[in-house]
Amino acid sequence: MTFLEIVEGPLWYLGASVFVIGAVWKIVGILLLGRKADLSIPRASASVGALKAQFLHFVPHGGFTFRTIYHLVAGYMFHIGLFVLMLFAAPHVTFAQNNILSIEWPSLPYWGFVVAAQFAFAGLILLWVRRISDPVMIKISDRDDHVGTWLTFLVMLTGCMALQEANEALRATHMLLVDLWLIYFPFSRLMHAVTFMFSRGYTGAFFGRRGIVP
Amino acid sequence: MRVISIARLVVMIGFCGLVLWGLSADPAQAQASSSVRPPITDAAPTDGNVPGQAMGNRSDADLWRGINHGTVGKVTIPDKKSALMINRHGEDWRQLRMDNLVLWGGVLMGISLVGVLGFAIVYGKFKLHGPRTGRVIPRFSQAERWVHWFVACLFILLGLSGLVILFGRFLLKPIIGADALGAIANASLQAHNLLGPIFIVALAFMLVIFLKDNVFQKGDFVWALKGGFFSKHHPPSWKYNLGEKSWYWLLAFAGSGLALSGVFLIFPTLLDDVQGMQLSQIVHAVAAVVVIAASIGHIYLGIWGVEGALDSMTLGYVDETWGLEHHRWWAEQEITKEHVVEGAPDAVLAAKKAESA
Repeated sequence: MTFLEIVEGPLWYLGASVFVIGAVWKIVGILLLGRKADLSIPRASASVGALKAQFLHFVPHGGFTFRTIYHLVAGYMFHIGLFVLMLFAAPHVTFAQNNILSIEWPSLPYWGFVVAAQFAFAGLILLWVRRISDPVMIKISDRDDHVGTWLTFLVMLTGCMALQEANEALRATHMLLVDLWLIYFPFSRLMHAVTFMFSRGYTGAFFGRRGIVP
Repeated sequence: MRVISIARLVVMIGFCGLVLWGLSADPAQAQASSSVRPPITDAAPTDGNVPGQAMGNRSDADLWRGINHGTVGKVTIPDKKSALMINRHGEDWRQLRMDNLVLWGGVLMGISLVGVLGFAIVYGKFKLHGPRTGRVIPRFSQAERWVHWFVACLFILLGLSGLVILFGRFLLKPIIGADALGAIANASLQAHNLLGPIFIVALAFMLVIFLKDNVFQKGDFVWALKGGFFSKHHPPSWKYNLGEKSWYWLLAFAGSGLALSGVFLIFPTLLDDVQGMQLSQIVHAVAAVVVIAASIGHIYLGIWGVEGALDSMTLGYVDETWGLEHHRWWAEQEITKEHVVEGAPDAVLAAKKAESA
């Protein structure tokens, strides 16, 4: 068994399993924590508030736009670029068809890949730069933030380096880092990719019940 | 019978005589006497012209020599460039790229590394002479810090991948082998082409943002004449000293060269000829080597060589003592303008207020 076969075979299944089981475990754990009974008089629907918050929190409230413009733009650049790459890069589509789903969907042309990757890289680097050059962000960032950022960066970088699929070693390096990323994911703040919905829902329900737009 | 034998003998002697005469005869005379050969002259070929005009007036060797030296012929097809069979500039460029550039680029990088190492050994770390006052002066705005670190991150990624492309064959191939180098160089090129355009945009932003205080002004050379970095006590300077301003302008000019030549390398169809591509690659490599060699000094001084320098680019402010010791004229201006604040939290708020204003 070659190294590529290991990282695309057993190690991939191990990484994917840890990712799924770990994420579900963590979500169930959070939900089981429960919350204190809300004794306030309901003025509006908490469920509608929770639902509204899911969408309203995609953009900052008016007064905060200027202060958050940097990480708003960088955040969207990174996340949109990353999801486009993850879902529509031609090698990913082929891999997903072979290993996860057997349905077909269109893939990006080469120029589309390059543009999406440039957005993703620029966004991620800008977000990390903020982490190391803002006095407040320096204080509240810990090792997990940096490891998560760098691991994601390395996954993206090795993916782009393997773009031409000229060498098996490059693809194997990329896949090894993907497997490590999947294993690290549930134990880190990368989990925000899943927990953000619960966080927004909780805040939205809290304010929605009080008749305030969340 | 005897008559016949004598006659045979005479014929045989005559034949042998003819053969011997033929063998001993001058071939030129033989040719001259032939009706199907060109007339013989005593003249030897000169300057590639073959005398006689019968086989063309140029030798094959001369024809191929001309082609080899880039003589342009004539074609009737639309692509007039195909009239040039061998582009000699390609070989000149190859020698420049593979020999001179690698050699002198390596020498420059070596000088920079050894120079910085020697500087570090001799001078050590520049520490503050006086105690910190606790009052701080905002030095770099948030926008300046962000764009600086963004460019720095991209510069490091592009620099490393570029060095693999330029020097990999000479430094890595003997160690890791041709196959591994091929994979790494291919990967480096992919990353380089992908991140390069982002760097161009970021560099343009950075040059604009930092332009204001990097214009040369009266007093800059005083800093250099008093010893600059080699002085025991930092000579006075404005917000940026002559060394920092020189770094800015080097980055401006070499960076522009890098950016422009990089665009031509990524989009080769923008140029109409191969020579333009060759020139672009040489400009790109020379500018890159110069900037990387200079950046070693900048990185050393910024991260390790000068106490407090890194804080200024991460936190955005410097202690009053640091300002007065390293950039006295600038610090005095800031103190006069009452920009000095008590402690870090006030500095952060002051910087944010200044940006909002």
